[in-house]
Amino acid sequence: MHIEKGRLSIACVCMVLGFMLAIQFRSTQDLRASLPFQRVEELSARLYQVEAENKELEAELRDLKSLSTTEKGEKINDDIMMFAGMTALEGPGIILTIDDSGKIAKKDNDPNLYIVHDEDVLKVVNELRAAGAEAISINGQRLTANSEIRCAGPTISVNNVRSAPPFEIRAIGDKDNLTNAINMRGGVADSLKVWGIKLDIKPSDNVWIPAYKASSKYKLATASSKEESK
Amino acid sequence: MIYMVVGLLLGMLVGFVVPWGIPAGYSSLFSVALMACLDSVFGGLKASCNGNFDDKVFISGFFTNALLAAFFVYVGDQLGIDLYYVALLAFGLRIFSNLGVIRQHLLQKH
Repeated sequence: MHIEKGRLSIACVCMVLGFMLAIQFRSTQDLRASLPFQRVEELSARLYQVEAENKELEAELRDLKSLSTTEKGEKINDDIMMFAGMTALEGPGIILTIDDSGKIAKKDNDPNLYIVHDEDVLKVVNELRAAGAEAISINGQRLTANSEIRCAGPTISVNNVRSAPPFEIRAIGDKDNLTNAINMRGGVADSLKVWGIKLDIKPSDNVWIPAYKASSKYKLATASSKEESK
Repeated sequence: MIYMVVGLLLGMLVGFVVPWGIPAGYSSLFSVALMACLDSVFGGLKASCNGNFDDKVFISGFFTNALLAAFFVYVGDQLGIDLYYVALLAFGLRIFSNLGVIRQHLLQKH
C-alpha cells in the first residue's frame, strides 16, 4: 500500500515534469518561429510613424495653400528667419553654465585638463542639439548654421566674438530631455566632472535667446537653381 | 519505473496539446524551475537507489525547489543580479552528481 502510494506520487510528479518539458520545448520552438514576426512588427511600427509624419506634412501643406500669397510669403519668411536665427526667441529650456575647474592640478597632470576648452563646449552643444534643442546661444551669441566654436587663446570664439569662461549656454527645448542628455551616465557632465570642471544646469520655463547680430551678407556664394548631380 | 515513464509521457502529451506557452519575459524563470524539477526527480531516483526514498520529502522538494528557484531568479532580476546562471549551474552540478550516484548504484547491482 505504501509503495503504491509512493509510485502514484512519482507518476504525478513525472507528469508535471513532462508537462513542463513539453511547454518549454514548445516555447523554444515558438521563439524561433516568432523572429520573422518581430521583424514584421518593427516594420509596421515604422510604417505607422511615417504615415503620421506624412499626415502632419499634408496638414502643413493644406494650411499653406489656404493662405493668400502675401500671407504665405510672410509666414515662410518668418519661419526662415526663425530657423536662421535672425529673430530672438523665448520658450522653456535650460541655462547651462560651465566654468574652469576649482581643483588644484595634480603635479604630473596637464593643467590644460582643468580648464574649459572649445571642445567641451562643442560636446555640450552637440548633445543639446541631439536632444532636440531648437535654439542655442553661448554667452549671448546665437548659434546659427554658420557659427563656429573655436579656441582663441584663453578664450573661445563664437560668431567671431570672443568670450572667456564662465560660459553660459542657453537652449530652448524640452527641459527634461536637455537636462538628461547632459547628465546621462558616461555623458558630457560625467567626463567633465572628472577634472572638477563646474557644470551647472538650471531648467527654466522662460529662456530668452538673442538673435544673430552680425552681418548675414554673402560675399562669394550666390543662389543656384541647379539640381544636385547624381 | 513504469509509473515514471507513463507519467512523463502523459505529461508531455498534455503539454503538447494545451494551447498556452510561456510569455517571453518569464521564460528564464520557467527554465530555472524546470532545472529544479529535473534535479528533484534525479534526487528522488538517487534516494530510491539508496533505499531512503520518502514520497513526502520528494513531492514537497519538487514543488518548493521549483518555486523557490524561480522566485530567486525573479528577485535577482529586480536587483540586477544574474542569479539565472548561478541557479542553472548549481542545479546542473547537482543533477550530474545525482546521476553519478545512480550510475554507481546500477553498476554495483549488476
